[in-house]
Amino acid sequence: MSAPVSPGLRSGSLPLLVALMTLLAGLSIAGLTGVQTLAEGWAGAARNATTIEIPSDTPQLEDRTRALIQTLHKTPDVTTVRELSPPQVQTLLAPWLGQVTDSGHLPGLSLPVVLIVAHTGTPDLGKVVHEALPEAVVEEDRRWGDRLNGLGSSLVACAWLAVSLIAAIVVLSVGMTVRRSVMAQRKAVEIVHFLGAGDVTISSRIAGRAALLSLAGSLAGLLFLSPVITLLARKLAPFSHEAGPSSLPAATWQTMLANWWNTLHVLPRLLLEELGALPLIAACLGWLTAQTVVLVWLRRLP
Amino acid sequence: MIRLLNVSMMPPGVGQPVLRNLTLTVPQGEFRWLLGPSGAGKSSLLRLLTLETRPSSGQMDLLGVSVSQASRSTLRNLRRRIGFVPQDYRLIGEWTVFDNVALPLRLRGASERDTRREAFSVLEWLDVAHLADKRPGTLSGGEQQRAAIARALIGRPEVLLADEPTNALEDAQARRLLATFQELVDMGTTVIVATHNEALVREAPASSIVLQDGTLAGADPQDGIAAHRSDRA
Repeated sequence: MSAPVSPGLRSGSLPLLVALMTLLAGLSIAGLTGVQTLAEGWAGAARNATTIEIPSDTPQLEDRTRALIQTLHKTPDVTTVRELSPPQVQTLLAPWLGQVTDSGHLPGLSLPVVLIVAHTGTPDLGKVVHEALPEAVVEEDRRWGDRLNGLGSSLVACAWLAVSLIAAIVVLSVGMTVRRSVMAQRKAVEIVHFLGAGDVTISSRIAGRAALLSLAGSLAGLLFLSPVITLLARKLAPFSHEAGPSSLPAATWQTMLANWWNTLHVLPRLLLEELGALPLIAACLGWLTAQTVVLVWLRRLP
Repeated sequence: MIRLLNVSMMPPGVGQPVLRNLTLTVPQGEFRWLLGPSGAGKSSLLRLLTLETRPSSGQMDLLGVSVSQASRSTLRNLRRRIGFVPQDYRLIGEWTVFDNVALPLRLRGASERDTRREAFSVLEWLDVAHLADKRPGTLSGGEQQRAAIARALIGRPEVLLADEPTNALEDAQARRLLATFQELVDMGTTVIVATHNEALVREAPASSIVLQDGTLAGADPQDGIAAHRSDRA
């Protein structure tokens, strides 16, 4: 331990507070990243794709579908036309209808034929489809893409606001803890000041301790956050375009750890980097806040 | 050298000055008793000289530095050249006696080896080296006073100020302390000792700063003793 030249910081509940704030900030950032990833993925896919649904009760369904596909192939800017198989339609609708295990039909509900048309530019597919097969419904995916973008942007703004508020709470918590500590050790601080300790000497010792405690608290917060993020990643996996983590039955510690590691492995790199930066940010905030509070307090001494 | 010219001091919230138009000079390397009855302004003068506060008006020069106009960093460097034995010891309770005593040298950036050697040397001289690892709260008043004296003496300050430094010491220790003060004076340190101990003043007659009601009342030890007696009567 280094030789004391100034009183240190009485930490109180600072590490616990920072741990909780890190947990909240981590959840906000994870939510932010998730929303960004989903919105970008969906919007990107929607911009250059159009979905055509042909009701199952359309007369001469197969022949007319084939004719429509040929017409679409000939339409300028259309690159591919893909007919989804019944299992693919089921998968597509699984988040809303659940997994269907029978031969492809839901009780009382016939699945439509679904065509996914990939294209460049903005061909007027509505007109082409309406002329060839009036019963078909054209979903302009671009419209959904725009809405998703708008929703994504709003959620991103909310998440940043939450992160900013959390940072402000950390600054306030550190500031109050440091001020309480200085007041509690007022006599000792005055003694070292009147023996010739510089303001920065006094403030640096307290700020160093505040930074260390913030770092420790934040690391603990990340530790608590890890299982929560893993759980959320698993819940969100079906909505992601990325390959989800392969799930093993969580019967033993080994399989649970393997599951956790697999999930962690497929989390976006940016998210992991941002979460990894949280302890450093917390330490910097702690250090800066403590320095400022102590230096301002010391100004009252001659 | 210490030079005060028409110095007054009025603490915030106090209606009248505790020191009024004080003018005095103490050349470098001289000893002065600081005498006067309770409330005469001895502690206030010591607070000025230890740079705990600045004069409300007047000119105060300390070791060649004009205190009234000095910057914070100049005052900080000046404080490191002053040793002070406060009446209430002002030891940091959370630290050991050794860390308290070593503080002035550490603040000057001395090596840990030199700090240790110096600190133990002065602690041994004051017979408290065996208490180096204790916390001040576990010591008697006399032991705490000796620790405070050790902190003031370490690093041989250019100005040494002491507020009742012998009131918790035995007679023999008080005499030894006076002899040490004299040694410091011989080495060029300016020493000012505030006391109520008449026997001690008689034993070591020297020039005095005698205060009465915040003003300079005399420069003879007898003036201070007389003022002290009239205050007690």
